[in-house]
Order: sequence, then C-alpha cells, then structure tokens
Amino acid sequence: MADESRFVTLASNAAAPQALRPDVTSGRRRLPLAWLATVPFFAYTIAFLFLPAGSVLIGAFQDNENKATFANIRLLFHHPYIDAYRTSIEISLVTAVLGAVFGLLIAYAAIRDGTPKFIRSGLTTFAGVAANFGGIPLAFAWIATLGPLGVVTTWLRRAGWDPTEHGFQLFSKTGVELVYMYFQLPLMILVIAPAIDGLRKEWREAASNLGAKQWQFWRYVGIPVLMPSLLGAVILLFGNAFAAYATAYSLTSGTVNIVPVLIGAYYTGNVLDNPHLAQALAFGMFVVLAVMMLLYIPLQRRAARWAK
Amino acid sequence: MEDYEAQEVEFWAKLEEEGMSRSSMLRRSVAAAAGLTVLGSASTALGMSKMRAAAPTHMTQDAFKQLVVDAKKEGHLNTIALPPDWANYAEALHDFPRKYGIGITNDNPDGSSAQENQAIVSLKGDKRAPDAVDVGVSFAISGTNQGLYAPYFNLNYKTIPRALKNTHGYWMGDYWGAVSIGYNKSLVPNPPKTFKDLMKPEYKGKVAINGSPLTSNSAIAVVIATAIANGGSVSDVGPGIDFWAEMKKNGNYIPVGTTSQTVASGQTPISLDWDYNNYAYVTEFPAASWGFTIPSDGVYGGYYAQAINATAPHPNAARLWEEFLYSDQGQIIWLKGGAHPARFADLVARKVIPAAVLAKLPSAAIYNKVKFASLAQQTAAKNLIAQQWPTKVGS
Amino acid sequence: MAPSAYLWLGLAAIYFILPLYATLAFSLKKNVAGAPCCTLANYSWVIHNSDFWHTIKVSFVLAIETIVISLILFVPTIYWVHLKLPRLRPVIAFLALIPFVVPPIVMVVGLLRVFQGTPHWFYGEPWGFLAAAYVILAFPYMFFSLDAGFRAIDVHTLTEASQSLGASWPTTLVKVILPNIRAAALAGSFLALAIVMGEFTIANLAAFHTFPIFLQYVNESAGFPAGALTLLSFMITWAAMGSLLLVGRRRGGRGAMIAGTR
Repeated sequence: MADESRFVTLASNAAAPQALRPDVTSGRRRLPLAWLATVPFFAYTIAFLFLPAGSVLIGAFQDNENKATFANIRLLFHHPYIDAYRTSIEISLVTAVLGAVFGLLIAYAAIRDGTPKFIRSGLTTFAGVAANFGGIPLAFAWIATLGPLGVVTTWLRRAGWDPTEHGFQLFSKTGVELVYMYFQLPLMILVIAPAIDGLRKEWREAASNLGAKQWQFWRYVGIPVLMPSLLGAVILLFGNAFAAYATAYSLTSGTVNIVPVLIGAYYTGNVLDNPHLAQALAFGMFVVLAVMMLLYIPLQRRAARWAK
Repeated sequence: MEDYEAQEVEFWAKLEEEGMSRSSMLRRSVAAAAGLTVLGSASTALGMSKMRAAAPTHMTQDAFKQLVVDAKKEGHLNTIALPPDWANYAEALHDFPRKYGIGITNDNPDGSSAQENQAIVSLKGDKRAPDAVDVGVSFAISGTNQGLYAPYFNLNYKTIPRALKNTHGYWMGDYWGAVSIGYNKSLVPNPPKTFKDLMKPEYKGKVAINGSPLTSNSAIAVVIATAIANGGSVSDVGPGIDFWAEMKKNGNYIPVGTTSQTVASGQTPISLDWDYNNYAYVTEFPAASWGFTIPSDGVYGGYYAQAINATAPHPNAARLWEEFLYSDQGQIIWLKGGAHPARFADLVARKVIPAAVLAKLPSAAIYNKVKFASLAQQTAAKNLIAQQWPTKVGS
Repeated sequence: MAPSAYLWLGLAAIYFILPLYATLAFSLKKNVAGAPCCTLANYSWVIHNSDFWHTIKVSFVLAIETIVISLILFVPTIYWVHLKLPRLRPVIAFLALIPFVVPPIVMVVGLLRVFQGTPHWFYGEPWGFLAAAYVILAFPYMFFSLDAGFRAIDVHTLTEASQSLGASWPTTLVKVILPNIRAAALAGSFLALAIVMGEFTIANLAAFHTFPIFLQYVNESAGFPAGALTLLSFMITWAAMGSLLLVGRRRGGRGAMIAGTR
C-alpha cells in the first residue's frame, strides 16, 4: 500500500508543475516559484510581528539615554528577576505537562467511539471559550470558589475539613497552577482533537485483532502516532502559561513573582518606570522559549518517524 | 509616500494663503512641543496649529470668557484613567458637560499613571489623545521632564499650597487622601482600629490591599503607612515590608487586589486603601455593610496631580476643564467623594463648604496628624519595595 | 460509552462548572445588606446597558475579520509548506512562538511606535490596527491547529489525485483540501474568536473600546453586575462558537474524504 502511494507521489510530483507551467521542462524553476507563494505570509509577519517585536527586543540593549548597554541583561541574573524566571518556568512546565496529559484524556474520552457526538461539539465549543477566559473574571470566579470565604471552602468547612487549616492557599504558586488549568486544558483539547481524529479506527481494530490489550495499543501505536502533536501541544501550553499575565496578577495581586507580572510592573504600573528593563525581561522570555524550541525540534523529528 | 509629500506641499500652499511665513510657523510649532504630524490631513494640521497658537498659559478673569468660547468651539474633551467612583469623579464627568455643553470621552477608567503618560506619547497627533491627565506625583515630574505637558496657571493658582504644585505651571496637586482600613461590618464584627491590630488571629484570611506595591501608588502608600506604625518612617519603609511578610506568613494577608467585586461579595472583608475609595464603597455597596477608619498609629497621605497634554487635540477645552476642577464647585465635588482638595484650607477659610459635606467626613483631628513624603523619600521607598517585596512577601 | 470516558468527562465537568456556579451565585445576589437570594436585577443592568451591546458588536465584527484574514493568510501558506517546502515548517513553527514570547503588554508599545505615522483609517480604527495585531496573536493557535490538521491527512495524495483529475490549484485548495482540514480550521477559528473576545491589553493601551475593555471596567467598578456580565459574556461567546460550528458543518458537509479521518 505504501509503495503504491509512493509511486503515485513520484509520478505526479513530476506531472503537477508540468500542468502548471507547460513551458518549463526541467525541475529547476520549481524552488523559487514555491517560495514565492509564501511571500504574503512573510510580508505580513515582518510588518506586524518582526518590526514591533524587533523594536522592543532592541530596546532591551539600550538604557534610558538610548545608548547601547548590557546592563539590563546582566541585571536579569540577580534577585528578584532570576527568581521570577524560575517561578515562571516551573508554573509553565507543570501546567503544560498536566494540561497535556489530562487534556488528552478528556479529549479522547469525548471523541472516542461510543461517546455521543453532541458531547464532542459541546466540549470543543466550551473549550474555545474557556481557553480565553482569564484575567479578573477568572480570578474572581476562583476566589469565589476556593478563596478563604469561597463556596467550596465553606462546604468543606461545614463538612468538617477546613482547607486553610491544612495549608491550602489559593493565592500561591499552587493556586495559580490550579487556576491556569482552566485555560490550559481547553487549549490542549482544541489542539489535540484534530490529531486524535487522525488515529484511525482501523488501527485499533487491527491491534485488537492481533490480540493487543488496551495499554499495548496505546504504548506501541497510539502514543507514538500522537507524539509529534503532543510535543507541539506541550510547547504551545508552555508558551501560553509563560506569557499569561492578567490572571496571575488579579489572583495574587502580583505577589507571585513571575516574569510577565514584573514586565507589567516596569512598563505600565503606577510606580516603577524602567521600560528598558521590561524589554530586557521580554528578551529573557524569548531566550527561554528559544531553548524550548531547540529541545523540541530533535524530539519531534524522532517522534515523526512513526507518523507515516 | 508620495501622498504625504503632496499633502505637505498643499499644506505650505495653504499657509502662504493665510499670510503666515514658513519660519514663523515653525517657531510656533516648536513652542508647542512639535506634535504637528503632517502625515495627517493638511487641514486638521493647519487647524490644530492655529488652535495651539491661541491656547493661553496664564488665565485672567477677562480672558476667561474667551476661553469658554474657544473651548465650546473645540466641542469635546478627552480624559483618561478617571474611575467614576474615585474621588467622586462621576459627578465632575457629569456636571462639566452640562455646564459647558462639551462632551467628555473618558478612556481607560482604570488605567495607571504610566499608561496616561504613555497614551500622550503613543496617541500624539491622533484625535483620541488625552487632553488632561491626573497622575501620581512621580509621573507628573517625569512627564514634565519628557516635555509631555503644557504649562498653565489657572485662575485659582495662587490658593493652591506651594508644596502641592510645580512653580512653572506644568502640574498641580488636585486632591489628597490618607491611608485607611475599610471593613465589612457583618463579616468583621470587631473591626481593627490600628495597623498593629491587623496581626490579630481573628483576621486570618481577611486582609487585602488595593493592588500590588510594585504597580500601584496606593499600595505603596499602604506599605509606608504600616512602616510608620511599626517603628519605621516615611524615609524607612523596611518595617512595613517586614510587617506584610509576617502577615503573609500568618495567613492574615490575602494577596488578592481588592476590586468592587471582592468588596461587594465579601471576599476581601478588610481592605486597605485611600480614604476616599473606602468612603465611596460605603454608599456604593450596601450589601457589604462597609465602614472605614483612619488608624491613628500611621496617618500617611498622598496626592495626585493634574497636567495638560502639550499636544492636546482640544487644548482650550483642556484648560477649561482645569478651571472647572479648581473652581470652588470642582473642589467641593472632590470633597464630596471623601478626598481633600488642594485648595481645602482656602475653602475652609472662606467658609464655602456646605456643612452637610463636612459632616460626612472623618473628624478633622485625625487629618491634622497626616504626614506626606517628599519625592526623594517616595523614590527610595519605591526602590526598596521593588527589591525586597517579591522575595520577602511574594513566593 | 466507556466507563473511563464517564470518569474523565465527569471530572472535567466538575472542574469547569464549579467556578462558573460560584460566579452565578454571586450574580444573583442583591445589593442590600443581609438580603436573602435572589434577583435578576444584575442581569437586567447588563442587558439595558448600551455600552454592552455596542462593544459586543465591535468585538464580534473584529473577531470575524481576524478569522477571515487569518484563514486567507495561513491556510494556503501551511498547505504549501506541507506540500512543497517541508524544510520551512520548523521555521514557521518557531515564528509561531514569537507572539507568545513577546507579551502583549510589550508588543503593543512596539506596534504603536512603528505605526504611529500611518493614516487614521488604519491607526485610529479598530478594524485596521487591532485586527492586524489580533491576526498575529491568533497566529500560534491557528498554526498549531492547522498544522495538526494537515499532518492528519495525506496532503500529497489528495493534491495529486485532484490534479490528475484536472483541477487547478485554487480548486484543489478550496474543494479538496479545505473540507479535509475543516475540523482543524474550525478549531483555530474558535481560538481566534475567543482571543479577540478576551484580549484586553492591546485594545486598552491603544485606546479602543472593545468588549473586554467594557468587561474589565465593569469588573473594577460595578460589583454584582460584574458577575452577571462575566456569565453573559461566556454564554454569548459560546453561542458565537456554536454558530461558527453550524456554519462550518453546513458548508463542507460532503467534502472529499480520501485520507483517513474518523
């Protein structure tokens, strides 16, 4: 089956450009023409992404008199900035991994055979809304639920188990992680659903015909096939949590020390005013994410071996 | 690009018609802190330059009538970062249009002082730019240094205390308040009377501040006030930071920023904030049975400042707005919101404040003890908090 | 339905619904000391507020504009990359992370500075400046959704089959490829819609009046109606997505499904 399709691919790869440009016989023209089609995309991203982002990232290396300096970058390695990075990375990793795992389980539960179709549409549309439910409304919703005087806290207290006595504190790193899951899980569900669609029913049937148990299917077929998308999703969730600002700020009034909150403080707060330090902090975020991406590429290439 | 060149040619041609020479035009533009964007339409650029050349710096009783006429011609006012329930701005934003027929667009009501200065820069030349701003003093000073403001001496300039204004007219203090403890009477049957009281175990999980000291002027004021109450002073904020670190460890301090929702719902039963904010909550949220007190162990005050955008799209309306705010009527509007206006001493001396308004304010005795911090002390406090707060109080 | 499905869906339901319930309970309270439940006055306040309707309209139109521009820009590009330029894919994936990395609060200052001199119809109107910024914000989500979708189908076979039947590139793209990545495109569109309905920082600093600005303002100033508004906005965005789903279903119902999908 695979060989045949490869034949067809080779044959039509030669045929297609012929159909497009009958005057061109050799394959030499194909490459520049192909790149041309991506021009609109690159033009747009240069205008609206690179130029603004560039002007800001360059500012990271300037001081208030616009002279070049590394001072801001060096400052990043001191307290409290380095602590902010540590906390940010920790929160982002935790919510990315947990979000990916539980998101996958929930998405699969909704998409698999046997689950009514309306559950999938309901979950997908709900996930779309919840993925961007954040900031003050989300923070307030959780304060009203698990805050010291929240609904669930009061229920638990009445049932005899006071969470605050046992060290639970919503306004902490753990609390932030718990609240972040509210938009991490939906994001995962939305991103992984098309990939789960790609897990063909025939494979499950073939596997069970060959005597494989549930977990064996997942270990040898399911997870490897999904792995590239899973890794991409983890990176996406990491970045999402890493840059999230409004929710953590509203929830902890800026006492959980994470990078976006610091950037906000230095950029537009009423008090501190050092835009170049804020730009340096943003540059640091860029570095962290670049590192993540560099880890992702070889991992993804290994995983993609299983894809086709 | 050719469009702009064509417009520029057209612009200078129009100037020739008006009989203005290019050099005199340039001189006036520079004086008005060059915001003239020739890239906009030529006619508005021309119109704006004519208006800017006419906006006055010193106001006199005779020129006032002309100011009203010019302002009405501009027809609109852009304000920024004025929450309606902050120092009773709702009444000012309501009365000014009715008095002068000039509509107000109030942008970004919950913005910070930094965002206000930022808006002046990023919206320069756009008709949405703010005409006047109400900012924290350190931002008023940095805005002046950046050339963002136009100097203006309003009619009542002389009765504003010297310590509350910039002598070159770039900004003036508008109102001040003292740090207070607000509380929900039904959830806190035994309300705290001093800052030291807040440490009591009965207030566990109940004490909040209106914002984070890293971004909010009022939160910094709270830290300074608690520093005074714990053996520090306006120049030594350390004890305040340590106080909140311990409050956080005990679980008394919940680091959520107070909002109207948290006050109304009772999620923040105790909130430390400016007196005029807590004062507003009393009538705004009957469901919260709100009350407030100014603790005697740390009476610390802070004020905000008014300034006019040097490149305001409606410069005369901006000046009329300042006249309104500093008139007796405007000052009493702030007082009705629980904030002490800059000309308070003058108003009291002339006995123009209605007795009913004075009766609703906390006793004058406590306000006599108020301490203010100089700009240098505020900056030192700011820097110490920036260094120590994230590690000592944050996680 | 499998028992594990019950378990996970049940847990998800509890986790997601509890905070919404708490907000609902709050939104039904009266602004009177010690009053027992319940009142619809807060909802009435929201519905009778003209700013509410005005800003929802603005945000919704912005969202549709963002989705349309994003699809027109990204679908052909990602299709082309999967088909002809697979080496470009990691480059674009890296680019897709940049909007994450530069947080909106810093991005908007850059945008404002770069585009300050542009004419008013772009710089001063949400349909120009904001839409352009939102397309970039939606880019990562669009990319990863579409990328997963394209990966799940056999792009080469589909294209060759379509071309061997004589279809031109546009026909192939619209009639063959698009229906097969419908789920992915819809997922990306949902996210773009939600982003626009929830984005606050850029609109705030660029002085536009969108729905999230109104939401934030009510949250900071109005107390009880804020809870009502939160839930209403949740419901409205959910309904908007439902309608997107219906439109998507009706349109591509009988798309060619050569490669495996469920």
